[in-house]
Amino acid sequence: MGVFVYLPLVLPLTALPIARLAEQHLHPRRAARLLTTVAVILASCSLVCLGLLVVVGTAQLPGNPLPDGWSDEEVREAVPHDAFAGKASILALVAVTMACGFTVHRHYRFRARAHRTLAGLPGGGDLAVLPDDVPYAYALPGSPGRVMVSTAMLAALDPAERRALLAHERAHLDGRHHRLLLATRLAGCVNPLLRPLQAALVYSTERWADEEAARVTGDRRLTARAVGKAALISAPGPRAAAVAGFAAAGPVPRRVAALLGPVPPDRGWPPALTPAGAAAFVAAAGTTVSALSALNAAVALFLVLEAATTPL
Amino acid sequence: MDTEGAGGERETPARRRGQGELEAQVLSVLGEATEPVTAAWVLERLGSGLSYSTVITILTRLHAKQAVTRTGRGRPVLWQPVANEAGLAALRMRSLLDKQRDRDAVLAGFVSVLSADDEELLRSLLAESEPGGGGAPGSGPGTGPDGPGGPGAAPTDRPEG
Repeated sequence: MGVFVYLPLVLPLTALPIARLAEQHLHPRRAARLLTTVAVILASCSLVCLGLLVVVGTAQLPGNPLPDGWSDEEVREAVPHDAFAGKASILALVAVTMACGFTVHRHYRFRARAHRTLAGLPGGGDLAVLPDDVPYAYALPGSPGRVMVSTAMLAALDPAERRALLAHERAHLDGRHHRLLLATRLAGCVNPLLRPLQAALVYSTERWADEEAARVTGDRRLTARAVGKAALISAPGPRAAAVAGFAAAGPVPRRVAALLGPVPPDRGWPPALTPAGAAAFVAAAGTTVSALSALNAAVALFLVLEAATTPL
Repeated sequence: MDTEGAGGERETPARRRGQGELEAQVLSVLGEATEPVTAAWVLERLGSGLSYSTVITILTRLHAKQAVTRTGRGRPVLWQPVANEAGLAALRMRSLLDKQRDRDAVLAGFVSVLSADDEELLRSLLAESEPGGGGAPGSGPGTGPDGPGGPGAAPTDRPEG
């Protein structure tokens, strides 16, 4: 298997260009799906290869319960730098497993607590209005999902803008955006090189929900105003302003500007000769190579192990 | 991450989590009372092995959040809940939402925090979007929320630092 076992660990880098360019050049729904697919495949390949390295690594541990043949010369020779990579991969796999476990645990614990809290509210339905003078609005996934809005947020918007806000949150729930977000978050836990995809996906799902809200209300300008007003009343702390002083335009102004512009074209694949097209191609190629490398490494290790454990 | 570091106390998140639950418990005990009651009454009803001073701490925190009122200048100080059922749910939700890492693991919020530059850019975008007489309606909602925004930002800022 040689270097193929290491390739999927670095190939997530090929997804970074599309993570940067997707938001401008793809319809947000397609961008979100593309980013999630790419992240999940690349993370799976990384995980497979990490697992293969662990097999080689555990064979070196004294007193391991594996068949003796596993620590044979030929098994170890299949991996370059096996001594270091094997041990490092054991640590990495433990870290990855724990990070993923924490992430999933945190996700479901928060959901359970939030739903329990909302159960204490009088009145049912999917909309939960919380009397609070801090403005906020969230989509809480679950079955059924709930939209929770504080009274301060509702008070700041006029009735039409409230409809846009609710349409936005319901779009998150209907589109099951939390699944995409959780999947990408886990991918980032498996391979930290995939973390930038997470921020890109958060933005894409927000844009997706914005576009849905604009479609439902039939008024892009109204939706833009709702997003803008909501952001302005959720005023920044003085520290946030100081830190982000020289950053590029943040996500909210970009969303508002996009809503004030035309409906994004919903085409399948960006034209090949544009930067986005090239980035999408690079990501697709990287994903394919990653999958093939992982497959190659898995098959190679399987054959080596079989040869080593089969008595001659 | 840096917010936790800035918190100063290492045990703050864990302690806060405990206190969030305790606040809710204390509030529900207070909700059972038909008249203003003393901290000792609350302690007795709670019956969860808490110390008197913990109950006082929780009541004081709730008082700072304007969830309870205290009467009686001298002793004994009497406590009474302000929040009703919905208010209690809102308080609990706030203590959940204040744990930013947990919240980010699940929720898609409607808007994220704005920087000062973003705010300016956003105002100009919104002003432009108003057809024709953009000035009046644009500056109306623009400057209007600015007033409550200032003090409103303070409580948001408080729990996560």
